[in-house]
This record gives sequence, C-alpha cells and structure tokens, in this order.
Amino acid sequence: MRGRRRVRRMTGPSGVGIGWRPEIAGFVAELPGLRFVEVVAEGVPASGPLPPGLTQLRDRAVTVVPHGVRLSLGGAEPVDPARVAHLAAVAQRLDAPLVSEHIAFVRAGGLEAGHLLPLPRSREAVDAVCANVARAQAELPVPIALEPIAALLDWPDDELDEADFLTEILDRTGALLLLDVANVHANARNRGADPLALLDRLPLERVAYAHVAGGSERGGFYHDTHTDPVPAAVLELVGALCARRRPPALLLERDGHYPPAAELRAELDALASAAGFPAVT
Amino acid sequence: MNVHAASGDTWGISGPTFLRYYIAAAILVVAIAAYYRIRLLTAPAHNTLDPLGPQQVAYLNGGPQLAVHAALGGLRGSGAVGVRPDRRLTTGGAPPTGLTPLDQAIHWAAHQHSRVRDLPRDERVRTALDQIRNGLEQRGLLTDDAQRARARFWSMILFALLGLGVLRLVSGLFSGRPVGYLLLTLVPLLTITLVLRRAPMLTRAGRTALRSVRREHTHLAPASAPAYATYGLAGAAMGVALFGTASLWALDPGFAEQAEIQRQAASGGGWTGGSDGSSGGGDSSGGDGGSSCGGGGGGCGGGGGCGG
Repeated sequence: MRGRRRVRRMTGPSGVGIGWRPEIAGFVAELPGLRFVEVVAEGVPASGPLPPGLTQLRDRAVTVVPHGVRLSLGGAEPVDPARVAHLAAVAQRLDAPLVSEHIAFVRAGGLEAGHLLPLPRSREAVDAVCANVARAQAELPVPIALEPIAALLDWPDDELDEADFLTEILDRTGALLLLDVANVHANARNRGADPLALLDRLPLERVAYAHVAGGSERGGFYHDTHTDPVPAAVLELVGALCARRRPPALLLERDGHYPPAAELRAELDALASAAGFPAVT
Repeated sequence: MNVHAASGDTWGISGPTFLRYYIAAAILVVAIAAYYRIRLLTAPAHNTLDPLGPQQVAYLNGGPQLAVHAALGGLRGSGAVGVRPDRRLTTGGAPPTGLTPLDQAIHWAAHQHSRVRDLPRDERVRTALDQIRNGLEQRGLLTDDAQRARARFWSMILFALLGLGVLRLVSGLFSGRPVGYLLLTLVPLLTITLVLRRAPMLTRAGRTALRSVRREHTHLAPASAPAYATYGLAGAAMGVALFGTASLWALDPGFAEQAEIQRQAASGGGWTGGSDGSSGGGDSSGGDGGSSCGGGGGGCGGGGGCGG
C-alpha cells in the first residue's frame, strides 16, 4: 500500500449547492458556506484551461459534479462512445465523486431533438436504458446518478408506473438516483396525482442528491422553467422528502433570468431551512 | 585613413572625432532618459488596503472617458439615469444613495440633459475626475504630470540627437565618406529611443493593481454573458471599468445606442502606453490616439511623428 499514488477524489455532494453557470460564476464564488456545485458537463472542455471560476472552486475543495445533458441514455441506439469519453474526462479533471445524466433521449435515428424527451415506460425502454447505462458505466471512472425528467403527459403504452420504472432501472444498473423535486411536483400537478405517494414508493436510500428548481403555472400546467423562483409548493415537497429521508445534498438549478443576488441568496436560504441544512450564504 | 582632418570631412569634423562625442552624448542622454523613465514607473506607493472602486479601476484602464462610462453603467443599472430620444441624458427617480462624487456630477449633468460625449468637459465632472486622478497619483498608481513631462522632455532630446546622427549619416553618404560605424551606433540608439518614446500613464504598481483586479473579476468578462441583475450596480460598473463599453452594450444596448456610446473593448495593459496587452481583454482598437489621449493634459506627446 505504501507509496501507492492516491487519486484525490472529492467527497460526495453534501448540503445545499447551486448549479454553476458562467453567467453567475461571480455570485457562486462568493458563497462562503458552499460545499457543492454541479456543472453542465458539455460546457466543460476535456482539455485546455478550465473556466477560472471552476478552478477557484476546486481550490476551495468544493465538490463539482458534472451533469450530462446530451448522452441520450434513453435512446434505442447505443450511447455515443465519444460523448461518454468526454463525460469521463471531465469527471477526471474535476475530481468528481460522481456524474449525473438524464433518463431521456435527445436524438433518435440520427435526428437531434435539441432537448430532453421522455421515454415510454415499457419493459423494452427499461432494457434499452439499462444497456446504455452499462455501456457508460464501463467507461466512467466514478458512479453515475440518473435523473428522471418531467413529462406533461404519459405515453399510451406505459406498462410500468414511474416508481416501478425507476426502481427497475436502478436495481438492474446499480446506479444512484438524482431526484428532481420540481419534476415530481410538476408531474403530480399536471396529472392530478399525489406527489407524496410517488415519494413513498421511490428508493430514497439511493438518492445521491436532489434537484430543486423554479417554475411557473401557465395554461393550467406547471412548467419546470428553471428561470422562475422556487414556488412554495416545491419547498414544501422538499420538506416532505427530507422528513422521509433527507438526501445528502440539494441543488438549486437556475438557468436564466437571473435575479438580484439578494433574491438568489434568499432562495438558497429557503432551501437550506426547508431541508434543515446549514445556510451556505 | 581620415587621420588628417581634411577639408573633405563632413561639417569640418573628422569621423572618429564626431563619433566619439556623439557616442558620449548618446550614452549620457540615454542614461538620463532611462533614469527618469524608471523613476516615473516606480513612483513611491502609499500603501493602503482600500480596494479600488470601479471608477478608479476605469480611470487606470481607460482614462477619464472610461471612468465616465463606468459611472454611467452604474447609474443606468439603478435606473437613475436614462436617455431621451434626442440623445440627451435625463434623470429618473430619486438619486440612489452612496453615490461617488463622479456619480453625483454625472447625475447633475444628466439632470441638465447633457450629452454623454460632453460629459468629460462638464465642470463638475472634470472636478470629480481630477479628484480620482489625484487619489490614484497619491497611491502611486498613476504617473505624475510633472514627472511625465520630464520623461517626455528627455525622450525628445533623444530624438533630436537621433536626428543629428541621421543628418550626419545622410551628408556623409552624399559626400562619399565611410559611415559604417555611425550606422552601427544609430541602430541601437533608434531602438532605445523607440522604447523610451512614450511616457506611460500607469506606474508599475498601477499595472499590477489593474491586473490583479482583472483577475478577481474574470466572471465579468463579456464572454461569460454576466448576469448583471445578479451582480448589481457595482458589478455593472466594474464590468465597464475592466472590459470597456462592450459591457455597457451588453448591460443595456438600447441605452448605449441612444446615448451614442462607442462600443469598445478595453485593452489589457491599461491606459495609454498599453504596450503589454498581456491579459488580452480583446482587441483594443489599434490607434489609442482617439479617446484616451486628449483628456490627460497632453497625452501622447510628440512621439510618433519625427522620424529624423
């Protein structure tokens, strides 16, 4: 054992974090209690200089988790090895303890959808996702956490419900869960279902961290926009989740229409107090 | 060969004699010019721990003009200043608290519906700019007028000496005298003269301070599309101070266009003499003659032209 080179790996995500974006890098850099951020993996170069803000956070020993959005794990075709290699390289560069991706597809038959599309919850889809996750896991240096996405409606040929679908995938792949609380709220709200019933059936002990984002009501539907404040109902759901089993970390996602610093800090504080985590501001 | 000071000698002085005196004079003048140049760059610094404000940083980076633009960025961000369709400024709402003297002067000028390009000539604005300048001089970041004049004077003498050498060279060539050694003397002298030509506005400490502020604020670079709503007024003003009016355009294109503010990326190396654009903040519109010079009492001096 002596003399063996140890890879310096950050501890897993903990406490309240925020999605690192270049637009608010200066704000993130000044959060004194911050221990954890997430960064869009496709925005980080595999070689060459890292964005200076990220280097600073790494120097402060803040955990940085790369979050993929373009892997298309839910696609019928095998994942693109080049994209997996990029995700692996970014994880290595950032000493990330894990990476995360979506259970969704972004391209099919060579066509790019440009955004994340939900899968039908069929056995066939489970097989396809598990095969792709296994391919990715074989190349990744760290564990992967999978995030289900929001859907405004269910596919007609769904064989499984959301909880069974996720549990099946997690059991077969051994992957962790990235639970999006705002999505749980959106899905329940838009289908008239009970979000707590879903929480009760999910394997909460597998949650690596949870996403929390803002949204808005339009035309009778709740939209998970990431550009609005986090509504009270989502914060309540965070509280309910933590009462059942508190995830190791919660991450505020904000992707545009950035508010004044004081408002953003207040959102982080509200999140911390809903979860009983120490404030990072 | 020309041991005998013959009647054929240029100006009646033999080559070796001229060269001897010429080289001696050149060494002397170069030494004096270099001395003043070094003194200029290493003005005694009065160390203070006060961080530089956006307007001070703007003054260091782009002179009075950029300081005015940085203040405008802050005032615009708070909605205290607007622009009318006739391209004159106007004020909106009560002035925010915590304004610097320059903010107050610009706010007053906006209240009088001044135009942005007239601001540097406004009396109150000028007083406020002089205040910033004095503060920066006292901190040893900006070179002092008198010292800059002295440095420029000696670089002019250097130019004159170079001109004399060139004249001798040309006459020598016309009368078919050997000029090899003179030419060998003139080449390094020309190089040194060009190096010492400019009297920079920033001291070495000033350049260091500017670099360190820039390093602390890379998140304000236009490439990051900074969220000014989040960074607030100080962020907007610092963005303009460090990265030029391109930041003002990003902050509020409607205002910038209406107020006829030139879209410009600030150079890396500081105001005038910014020869070492090391931090590379973008291309600094080649000729820095335009806006930066005029304001600072003489600016660029007689530099470029002469040629001998």
